[in-house]
Amino acid sequence: MHNLGTVFWFEVVRTLKKKSFWLASLLFPVVIAAVAGIIFFSNKATNEASSNTDKQKFSFAVKDESGLVNPLFVKAFNGKEVTSRAQGVADVKTGKLDAFFYYPKQVTTTKIEVYAKDVGLFDNGRYDAVAKSILTQSVASTVSAGTASVLKNEVQSSVTTYRDGAPYNGFMEMIAPALFLVLFYLMIVTFGNQMLNATIEEKENRVIEMILTTINAKALIIGKILSLIVLGFLQILVVMVPLLIGYFLLRDSFSLPNVDLTHLPLDPQRILIGFAIFALSFMMFTGLLVAIGAAAPTAKEAGSFFGVVMLFIFGPLYAVSLFVSSPEMPIVQFLSYFPFTAPIPLMLRNAVGNLELWQALISCAILAVTAFAVMLLAVRTFRYGALEYDRRLGLKEIFVRKA
Amino acid sequence: MKADIITIADFSMRFGKTTVIDNLSFTVRRGETFGLLGSNGSGKTTTLRALLGIYTPMAGTLHIEGKPYQVDGGVKLGYLPEERGLYKKESVIDVMTYFGQLKGLSRHDAHEFSLKYLERVGLAEKVKTRLDKLSGGQQQKVQLGVTIMNNPDLLILDEPTKGFDPVNRRLLMDIVEEHQKKGATVIFVSHQMEEVERLCDRIILLKDGNAAAYGSIKEVRKKFDGKSLDEIFLKVYGQKAGQN
Repeated sequence: MHNLGTVFWFEVVRTLKKKSFWLASLLFPVVIAAVAGIIFFSNKATNEASSNTDKQKFSFAVKDESGLVNPLFVKAFNGKEVTSRAQGVADVKTGKLDAFFYYPKQVTTTKIEVYAKDVGLFDNGRYDAVAKSILTQSVASTVSAGTASVLKNEVQSSVTTYRDGAPYNGFMEMIAPALFLVLFYLMIVTFGNQMLNATIEEKENRVIEMILTTINAKALIIGKILSLIVLGFLQILVVMVPLLIGYFLLRDSFSLPNVDLTHLPLDPQRILIGFAIFALSFMMFTGLLVAIGAAAPTAKEAGSFFGVVMLFIFGPLYAVSLFVSSPEMPIVQFLSYFPFTAPIPLMLRNAVGNLELWQALISCAILAVTAFAVMLLAVRTFRYGALEYDRRLGLKEIFVRKA
Repeated sequence: MKADIITIADFSMRFGKTTVIDNLSFTVRRGETFGLLGSNGSGKTTTLRALLGIYTPMAGTLHIEGKPYQVDGGVKLGYLPEERGLYKKESVIDVMTYFGQLKGLSRHDAHEFSLKYLERVGLAEKVKTRLDKLSGGQQQKVQLGVTIMNNPDLLILDEPTKGFDPVNRRLLMDIVEEHQKKGATVIFVSHQMEEVERLCDRIILLKDGNAAAYGSIKEVRKKFDGKSLDEIFLKVYGQKAGQN
């Protein structure tokens, strides 16, 4: 194993020299920022549009049979009343009016009817907004300001919960342990493919024989796995640093929420468990992906197994609500203890605080044993699949083969 | 007589139902140049791979310096395999330095050796060039440099002239002769009988996983009525040699 360091540095340095590494790493925060920007500006535009409904310039009329609409507000919006529903609809059809709102007798059980000239998918929303605004303001004007606020659901509340006699904020408590879940997700998504292809290059370039007669297969594989783990962390740093810099630089300009981490509660036990689950899971999946890559003759063939592994890792996300609300359910227990599905359920349950210490210890032990076994499997598969340039190594050959 | 550096005894190898090597035994003496000959599929590469621990033999023993070959076992090995290739997306100097380090050289020594070697073979200007940007012949030169950069005591060349142009073939022969003079043991797998006759002290000719001929070139020729190695090869393989 004395060449471990040589392999490690060679793999790290040559990956860092690749443009694709930096491109993929830097593109990620750019895409995140772009998506966030689109959402931000979209929400801003929507909010502005809805808050400006009273400034909307279009002609309309109303027919109120509910008795709730105050004519003063109709006038305030530059509307008028018509004598019948049929006339209002006809005026819209002929173009005399841009819109007509019909308020039925029971607005709580029957829909308000809006008839209007089409002005595009997004701008059509202004009609509905004005129709509802007139009704809401009319009703609110009949009660006191305080009552109106309550009816509009404008009141706010603060919740203080206690655990063992001390204030306990469940949401804030889960932030630190949940970071490992986010980290795991990002590292697998951004680096999974590189793990899969870690040994493919030796095969595709026919370097195998030179390598196997020069260095111990175990040292090569362990060196590669260690380099992948370090590169994974580096990539996360490359992703996170621009995002953090962008946040602090543009926080005020874009009115981004002010995240104050100074009062973030840190539970050492949950953070330690979260880290252990994260590290062991990452080692296990790195070994598994390297083993799959070693058994396949080409990158293309190895890629076909990638989806299956991703299904194991991220499939449990479909049962998120169960992990949070019903940790005692057998399916949750199974997914938490079966090593290839365990990372997400365990990290999630640890974050929300329903993973008992003894459960965490058993799970970590299972993950550690599996990670070790999978790494040995990766070495064995590489060793025996090394010279299979044209075909995939079968399971029987990996486990039974002597030579 | 020189001591044996390689001892292969009762070696058998089978892939599925096909027996590739059947109870093969021979030795290679320290400091000699040994020719491993045979038609395609006769088991030459399989024997070398088993000798170097890439394959595990079904039966028999394959020893270098009295024990099965291990990467960290102290044997200074230079192996040019039949299936050749290097990390094509890396620069020449990076790949050579990496292999030099894996072979036990310090980073500095590996780097220095690489520069000198590339100067010698006319690739000094390609030091930082990616391997896949080199021509096939240039890549072969680099591969040869990687093979000898630890100054091996045992040089195993599996069909080394395959695909080599005359210039590279000359270079290879010069390098083999240099190592012979230094006392290295050379195992030479080739179809080029002229080269084998010129370079090798002893040979083994494999057919169907067995030794069809084994001994010094003089002994083998005597056994086959003074014929040349080319003629012996054709006689042993008959029509099969041409078909392969």
